This record gives sequence, C-alpha cells and structure tokens, in this order.
Amino acid sequence: MSTTVDEHVRGLHLEHAVAAPEAYSETRTKRVARVALIIATCAIAVAYGSAFLPAGAPAWAPWLLALGIPGALGGIMVLGASRGRGGIGRLAWPFAFVIITLAAGFSVALALPASESASSDLWLGLPLRAAVILYGVGLLPIVVLPVAYALTFDTQTLTAADVERVRQLGNARKELAQ
Amino acid sequence: MLIQAALPRMAQPAVIGVGIAYFAVIVAISVWAARRTRTASDFFVAGHGIGLVALTVASVSTSVSGFAFIGGPGLIYATGFAAMFIVLPASVTNVMGAWVLAKRMRLLGEARGLMTVPDAIGARYRSPAAQGLSGVAILVGIIGYMATNALAMGVVINAIFGVGIGWGIWLGMSVTLAYSVAGGILAGIYNDVFQGTLMAVASVLVFLFVLDAGGGLGEISRTILASDPKFLGPWGKLTPLAALSFFFVFAMGSLGQPQGVHKYYMLKDPMQLKWYPLLKTLGLVLVLLLYFGVGVSVKAFVLNGRLAPLAAPDQATPALLLNVTPLVLAALVFSGIAAATMSAVNSFINIGAAVVTHDLPIAFGRRVGNELAWGRAATVVIAIIAAVIAQHSGAMVAFLGIFGWGLFASTLVPALAVGLNWEGATRTGALASIATGLVVTLALETSAYFKVFTFPAGVTASAVALVLSLLVFFAVSRLTRSAAVGAIDPDVRLIMEM
Repeated sequence: MSTTVDEHVRGLHLEHAVAAPEAYSETRTKRVARVALIIATCAIAVAYGSAFLPAGAPAWAPWLLALGIPGALGGIMVLGASRGRGGIGRLAWPFAFVIITLAAGFSVALALPASESASSDLWLGLPLRAAVILYGVGLLPIVVLPVAYALTFDTQTLTAADVERVRQLGNARKELAQ
Repeated sequence: MLIQAALPRMAQPAVIGVGIAYFAVIVAISVWAARRTRTASDFFVAGHGIGLVALTVASVSTSVSGFAFIGGPGLIYATGFAAMFIVLPASVTNVMGAWVLAKRMRLLGEARGLMTVPDAIGARYRSPAAQGLSGVAILVGIIGYMATNALAMGVVINAIFGVGIGWGIWLGMSVTLAYSVAGGILAGIYNDVFQGTLMAVASVLVFLFVLDAGGGLGEISRTILASDPKFLGPWGKLTPLAALSFFFVFAMGSLGQPQGVHKYYMLKDPMQLKWYPLLKTLGLVLVLLLYFGVGVSVKAFVLNGRLAPLAAPDQATPALLLNVTPLVLAALVFSGIAAATMSAVNSFINIGAAVVTHDLPIAFGRRVGNELAWGRAATVVIAIIAAVIAQHSGAMVAFLGIFGWGLFASTLVPALAVGLNWEGATRTGALASIATGLVVTLALETSAYFKVFTFPAGVTASAVALVLSLLVFFAVSRLTRSAAVGAIDPDVRLIMEM
C-alpha cells in the first residue's frame, strides 16, 4: 500500500515528500527547537523533583519554571511553525518577543519584593507584580502572536497550493482504495 | 472547585422563564441539525463543513465548561491571584495550537478523511496500537469529565428549576443526549454557538456590572489590599512553584485536550485557519472576564461587608448574582452556566462514542459496519454511564474530574503535538509516552486520593505525568531512532513538512 501511494505521490511531483528515509536530516531550526524543549522540560522536572527534598522546594526552583515554561512553549511553537527546510522566517521576531515577555514577566514577579499593601501604587487597577503578570504575561502576547499568525499565514503557514496538493494526494488514496 | 455542592435556589419566575427559553432554543437547533446528519462523518466531524465563526464560538464554548463561571471565581476567592495562572495561558495556547496542530490535523483530515484524535496518532505512526492506546486514554479521561459535568449540570438545573440535583442530572443529560444522538456534533456545534454567545454576553455584562458596583478595579484592589494584601500578590495564597505549575500544565496541556483539538477537523476550508487563533483568543478573553471580575469583586464585597462571608468558595458567583446583580442578569448567567456544562458534556459524549465505535475497532483490526448507527448507540450508553456515576459516586466524582485534563495532557501532548512536528519521533516512543502518561497519572492521582501519598506544595500529578511522558517520548524515540523516518507514510510526511 505504502509503495503504491509512493508512486502516486511521485506522479504528483511531490518528490520531496518521498525522499528516501536516509535522506532525511533534521533542520537546524527544528533541532534547536527540539533541544530547547528537552532542556526546558528537564529544568521543569528538576524544579518538581526539588520540591520532594526534606526542606521543601528551594528558592531557585520557581526560577527553573519561570525560564523553563517560556523555553518549552517557545520550543514547541517553533517546531510547529517550521516549514520544510525553510525555518520560521519572520516569525522569529514575534516568537522571541513572546518568549522574552513570558520569561521577563515571571522573573519580575519573582525578583521584586512582596510589598503589596493598602498604600501600594496601582497600575491599571492592580499592584505592580500582579499587573506585570496580568497585563504583561496575560495580554501582551495576545496583541502580538495571533496577529503575527494571521499576517504570515499565506507565506509561512499554508497556501492554496498546499491545500490543492494535499487534496490531490487524498484523491489518489481514494482511487487506490476503490 | 468542581461544581458539586448545591447552589442557592434561584427558582423565580424570571429565572425559570429565561431557563425555559434557553431550552427551547436548544431543541429548535437540535431538530434542525438532526435533519442534516446522514453519515458518520456528519455525526463525528460535521462533514468537515463548519465555517470559521461557528467553529470559533463553538470552540470557545467547549473550552471553558462550568468551571469558568462557578469553580474559577470560587478558586480566585479562595486562593487569590494564583487562580489566574489557570486562564492566563490563553494568551498563547490558541495560536500555539494553530501552529502546532491545526494545520496538520486539518490537512490530514483532507488527505485521509480522518475523524478522531487517535486517528491522527494512528496515521502519524502507522500504528493501530498507538491509535487504540490513545483511544483508551481518552475514554478513561472522558468518564471523569463527563461525570463531573453531569453533576454540575444537575446542580445548576436544580438551582434554576428547583427539581433536585438527581432529577437535574437526568433532565440535563436527557436534553444533551437528545441533541447529541439526533444531530451528533453538528447539533453540538450549533448549540455551542448559541451557548458560547450566551456565555460571552453574560460574562461581559457581569464584568461591567461588578466593576461599576465595586467602584472600579482600583477601588476593588484597595479594599482587598487593606485587609488581605497577599491575595493580590502575583502568586496569591499559593507558592510561586504552584502558580507557575498551573501555567505550565494548562499551557502545554492545552495541546492534548481532545475536545479542542478534535475541532480542527471540522473547519470547512483550511485557509480559514488564518483568523481562527485571533478570533478564538478574543472570544476566550470575553468569556473569562467573569472569572476574574467575580473572583476579585466578591472578595472585596465580603471584606467591606456588602456580602456575608461565603460558606464555600463555589458560592462566589451565586452569592454575587443573588445579592448584587439584577435578577434578569442572574438568570442569563445561570443559563450560561447550564450552557457551559451541556456544551462540555455534548463534546465529550461525541468524542467518547468515536473512540468506542471507530478507534478501538481499528486497533483490533476491525471496522464497524454502520458507524453512524453504532455511534448513536454508543452516545446513549456513555451518557447513561456518566449520569449514573455522577449520581452515585459521591465524593469520588471530584477525583474523576480532577485527572481528566492531566490525563489528556500527559498521554496526547508528546505523541500528537510533538510527534506531528518532529520526524524523529518513533512509534515505540509514542506508545511508551502514552503508556507512561496513563499509568503515572492514574497511579499518582489514585495514591493521592486515598492519601497513600501526599504531594509537596506546588507539585501535582498532572504536572509530573506530563513532564515524565515528554521525557520518555524523547528518550525512547532517541533509542529507537533508526526506525524513525521510514515509518512515516509519504502523505503524512508531506503534511508534516508543510
């Protein structure tokens, strides 16, 4: 079955999709993203593991999550957005912005002293650390990421030609099945 | 924080009237959808023919469940700002899901006519075993989710109509079942559109009302800071590790929630994915305004004596609605809560039926003859099992509900979300990670429930299982990498490279 589909795919001039398995090599972008995801996951695992110590989680444990979470989310987003051998192109900028925003937001909340009180200055109605989390971590990415997705969709994510190629492939499979 | 205990009775003419009008609309939509459901593809994925706006609103509706209206504000009331870390990931999860899963799953649906999440795993790894095992994991998680949502439905319907929680469960389940069986996911989607719209309207109105009633967010914050400053610290009353752990589990775990991921198959035109993340994110922000607004304002109202201290955190929303907001707004919100629970139940019934009639038979090398008829039958059986569990399992229902999210995350994120984007992932790695997620989640949650074992502060079974299944996935794929690329079908590989 697979070989027959291979032939049909070749007939559709989709050669890159049926290159011999040994020809496959991970692109640099994907390798970096995967390694970042693994390192970030390991950092998060260490943070959780440290909570089982007799004295409880050490002070550095939340920092591993504060940096590991943006790393893991950034890694998997880059993996998903990478297109063939072309990498992520212009999306590098919004991805970098969001990773830095998340890491900075969590870090600021961890680093600043817990000084909330009735006399605290309010930032858009909230004390500083909560405002950084709500407006920085919770709202800033909304302004950037979905817009970047839409603006780069036609060049970086999906084209009508892509959909047509996949439809042809699906039709070829259906014909084979009949 | 799941809706389990009885809520205050709201059975007044205005509330009952809005409730009846709500159910009448549900019935009308269901009759319309039932006439358009003719094949298994119609029943499980709406014939791959849903438009952008409908799919977006339906997806928002399914994402939030009753937790956003009752449990969430209650959690803020109890733990402070830390509870926001459950919903803050929405700033990245929708667009992350679009990049990681939406395009590839929708194109797999185009090329192969796939209908279920396990279908995608089976196709990616050319493995009926992986498809079956992920189906089992989904089914286990669904039992918990269904039971807790069925109970929540009973509690809310009892609050509106005063029929008792037991009858509320069966009344709500009967209505949901009727439209699920007759119209499948098509009825579900268009009911979700109605329900999601209702939830968004209710959420925005309540948010604006409580801000006005509290004198603005600044005044609400001042009231809280004067008596309980830790409440508005970034981690609330939890540790930083616990709050950040919420963010990790709910951000990364979103990529494994079948009720959301499954909907990618349904979009009529793949090119419409362009605006899907933006619209869904904006929709979620609207629906979640109530979560934040009610949570902080009830805290302030209790502190300044405008509301009596709550008997339980889940009373936050009902207490506010009964004592502060106009009755019509309260009726709208309660219908919105009923809508949220019914929407979640419908989605899970449909996914569970697809596992039983489609994925598990494929795993055993068989195909069911008439998937539409068997799908309808499975829908009835699953709904009845969930209702019976909800009515008779007592405190166990909370346990069942807790592990649903974590189980989906730990079993599906590595094999599905990473696997569809990394050609180096192997079938063995996928099977090992799904098994790890299933076993670790069940073992840890069961041990914790029966107090055999206590987690340290900030650590949850969901988080541990997710991290372990990811690491197992990478490690086993690495060890078996010689089998990686050759095991991918050419059409799947083409879609992975797009």
